[in-house]
Amino acid sequence: MTAASLELVPPPRKGFFAALAPGGVKVLFALLAVGIAFLFAFPVLWLVLTSLRPPSGVYFVHRGTEFTFHNYAEALAQPNMLRAFFNSFAISTLATVLSLGVTVTSGYMLSRFRGPVPNAWFSVIYVLRCVPYISWVLPLFFVTRQMGIFDTYWGLLLPHVAVHICFFSWIMKGFFDGIDPSMEYAALIDGCTRWGAFFRVALPSAVPGLTALAILCWLYTWNEFLFALMLTSHKTPILTVVMAQFVHELGMEWHLMSATALMALVPALIVTVFGQKYVIRGLRV
Amino acid sequence: MTISEAELDRPRKPSLFGERQRFMLLLILPAAFGLAFFQILPILTGANASFRDWSLHDPKMTWVGLKHYFYVLSDDGFLKVVLPNTLVFMAVSVAVSLLLGLCLAAILNRKFAGRAVLQTILLLPLMVAPVVAAIMIRWMFNDQFGVVNAALEAVGLSGQPWLAQRWSAFAVILMADIWLWTPWFALLLLAGLQSLPREPFEAAAIDGASPWRVFRFLTLPMLRPVMVVCIAIRAIDAFRTFDIVWTISAGGPARSTELFSIYAYNEAFQAMNFARGSAAAMIGAAIIVVLAMVIFRVLNRWVEVSK
Amino acid sequence: MKSPFHATRRGLLSAAAALGLAAALPFAAQAQIELKVGYMKHPIQDASLDMMEKWAKANNVTFTRVPMAYNVFMEKVTATLTSGNDQFDIIWHNDDWGQLWEKWVETTDDVKGIENVDKWPLLAFWNAQNKLTVVPMVHTVGTFFYRTDLVKPEEVPKTFAELVSVSQRLQKEGKVKWGYVGGMSMNNTWFAQWWTMWANNCDIFHPMLERDNAKLKAAGFKPAITEPCHREIVEFWWDAINTHKISPPGMTAYGRNEANALFMAGEAAFTLVDSTHYGEFNDPARSKIVGKIGMAPFPMGPRLKQPTSWNEIWGWGIPKGSPPEKKKVAKEMLAAMLADEAGQIEMWKKTGGPPPNIKVWPKIAATDPMFKQLLHAVFEQKPITHSAYYFAEWPAVHKAYSDVVIKALSGKREDIAKTLEEGAPSLTKAAMN
Repeated sequence: MTAASLELVPPPRKGFFAALAPGGVKVLFALLAVGIAFLFAFPVLWLVLTSLRPPSGVYFVHRGTEFTFHNYAEALAQPNMLRAFFNSFAISTLATVLSLGVTVTSGYMLSRFRGPVPNAWFSVIYVLRCVPYISWVLPLFFVTRQMGIFDTYWGLLLPHVAVHICFFSWIMKGFFDGIDPSMEYAALIDGCTRWGAFFRVALPSAVPGLTALAILCWLYTWNEFLFALMLTSHKTPILTVVMAQFVHELGMEWHLMSATALMALVPALIVTVFGQKYVIRGLRV
Repeated sequence: MTISEAELDRPRKPSLFGERQRFMLLLILPAAFGLAFFQILPILTGANASFRDWSLHDPKMTWVGLKHYFYVLSDDGFLKVVLPNTLVFMAVSVAVSLLLGLCLAAILNRKFAGRAVLQTILLLPLMVAPVVAAIMIRWMFNDQFGVVNAALEAVGLSGQPWLAQRWSAFAVILMADIWLWTPWFALLLLAGLQSLPREPFEAAAIDGASPWRVFRFLTLPMLRPVMVVCIAIRAIDAFRTFDIVWTISAGGPARSTELFSIYAYNEAFQAMNFARGSAAAMIGAAIIVVLAMVIFRVLNRWVEVSK
Repeated sequence: MKSPFHATRRGLLSAAAALGLAAALPFAAQAQIELKVGYMKHPIQDASLDMMEKWAKANNVTFTRVPMAYNVFMEKVTATLTSGNDQFDIIWHNDDWGQLWEKWVETTDDVKGIENVDKWPLLAFWNAQNKLTVVPMVHTVGTFFYRTDLVKPEEVPKTFAELVSVSQRLQKEGKVKWGYVGGMSMNNTWFAQWWTMWANNCDIFHPMLERDNAKLKAAGFKPAITEPCHREIVEFWWDAINTHKISPPGMTAYGRNEANALFMAGEAAFTLVDSTHYGEFNDPARSKIVGKIGMAPFPMGPRLKQPTSWNEIWGWGIPKGSPPEKKKVAKEMLAAMLADEAGQIEMWKKTGGPPPNIKVWPKIAATDPMFKQLLHAVFEQKPITHSAYYFAEWPAVHKAYSDVVIKALSGKREDIAKTLEEGAPSLTKAAMN
């Protein structure tokens, strides 16, 4: 990875590129792109190979040539697996919509206003972001149980949204800071309300940022372990929790874990590929 | 920029709880509600625990004051191993993944055949559950069945017991973290690049500025707000990294790769002393609050000066 | 749904009763009782649960399995127990946290058939009133496995020295890449450092081999890791890895997964791990050494005269927070599990887990030579002590121990004594906390 990074540093002199034929630059660039892609994809590729090996070959992946889909079949046959897929999908999507809905306004407020209220709000967000999960996951378990939402959608959804609030508000602020507010000012002068200026002027310019955050949020929630492990039980099976159960005191069922992780990768891939396109298109209409 | 910001910020009617205040509060109300119940409440519970005699299996909850804080702050392991490890980890991970992420974002911001494919591949690390990815990386670096040693031996080099030695184990967890977070930087910085106005770039193109000069004097300064936020957030998160390190090395061999959150976890859940673990977490939080603020200020000033 | 308003409405009440949710209501005595079992997904636990479920079906009890991931199991269940909630009626109990839950689980002396279990492994589960708090599910015993295709029964190493020489011979003959593999990293300390420690007549604290907490405390939790008997075993492993090269160089970072993966791939001649892995080792889908596995007593260090062993259990506990009528049914169900001979034989055959009811053992041994081998390798060898300490700070001590010894093993050989010397106080500190 570091080798790739060195090559990526912009060339110090124009002479280097000039010395190559125009076609040469393109080939170099393509090679570079393929190289980087390979390095980033390698652990995932290896995981794909692992999941296709029979259980006796999931450690010595490179030794032997038997391949099978048996791990996938066995993983799918686990009780609750399909429900877990559905639940994870629902929770990730809802968490994304809710988190973004809640934080886009909060980030906007942080970016556009000065004074004690935004300062206080920013400090709260900032400090909360700094407290490690370790100290409050267990209390969160107590809190959700007290509220009677332990092992329900809400009991997982709301803590997830709360976690995203700090990070997203802050990043949204960064995005809005990069957007010139003079257009909103013009809209206000034209008689637009503040809400109107926000929705019709500011929001559309923030779409690239929102899309990126939507994808990050969805992927994060989809792959999240700790909250899911602590805040759910058998009534709301979550994919990562089912996966975590392949690890027991005496070792792990790596063949099932890798196959499940690969199956979980498919929705993530779909969301990333299509989400990127359609979220942008949908919001720009 | 500052002038127009001030304009938008100017109260229309001067009153204590005017339309401007209401707008501000409404903007943050839902978020504040969520934070109050699902962050502030549990965090306060944890903070409260850190002042009490609160072991996991025997929550006596008697007040002991700052006892746990003194313990952690006088623990050699914390001061001489865990803190330096964490700071090195944070600095290297953030710096390298920022640099790589910036380069990748710059590449992806150009139009070329296969751009979408490359972008999707680069996001792969974010699509796999980090815990599973970490297990995969641990097996890849195993000295016997790992593919890394197999590849090295295939080209005639000798394999290493990567995870049994301090610095190679540290390098592996760093590499895993960089692998995981570079796409994160790339995605957010790319979004930042895409929302930049086109006009200055068109003007630069007319002036015939070299790509490097455009990047250095136009793109970088304009990307500043997003970049600084990303760095600060990543610094905070790198400081509290847990999953990956726990899975790959668990702080070993013999605490040599132990990071701050592993320390807190070990105290709270392995030694069952929830109070002491919480105290360690609070101390860590205080350190990173100050540290990230310094990073934030320094970065802002540095970018400001270099403009 | 447990709202009292529903109780006034007949239709809903009967519906709730049918769902088994009305058990908490005082007048739903005839209603079906639901028992929830919190456990870790593992073939042995599932086999034990199958026996219970068989009884539950026959006795009109709703049986609900609540699987939990191992990495949060103890934390989550402990938090549930200490908050007095009735989320589970039966939970997986383990000697690792036997003493932590001592206050929070019901006594089990009155479970029928409890007299048929082995007394030795119960030490972790006595509460302050000297009452038992567990019903055993399976024995977890460290077992020395060897490859029958490489080593004849009479050649199986009986001493540390033979372990080295036989390994080196096999390596030299090109029959196998490594002699011994075993987990060494934190939480896997048993499979290298500790079995050799006990097999060298050594221990972690003074007075050695003592497990009476009062006596240990009176001795100030004085570490024994600086004793010659302990330094020898650290040197033994240092040599095994670096000098004799009978174990892989990365082994100090191995857990069970790595060690088992190597053993099952046929890369090593010997390993020592829980007997409950026998099922896995003999599963053709997972293992390349099916039918080539033998069990033998632990090789001995220079300071031991008779082979030792260890013998602990997994069990089931009943949370105090569970309502009284459910506790009663839970005890009947666990008694039925203990009495289910066919089920226990089935469990052994499917998983290699030695059943809790020792009355069943001779019956299995009569027909199954593998079980006979296990009896000889483990149960007929008298343990010199327990394979853990049973006080609440034990996990912290384990971690401190692991850190010191791994540090010594990762350094230079001549520094071993010094590293152990410097690290010893951390064990006392962890124990006194």
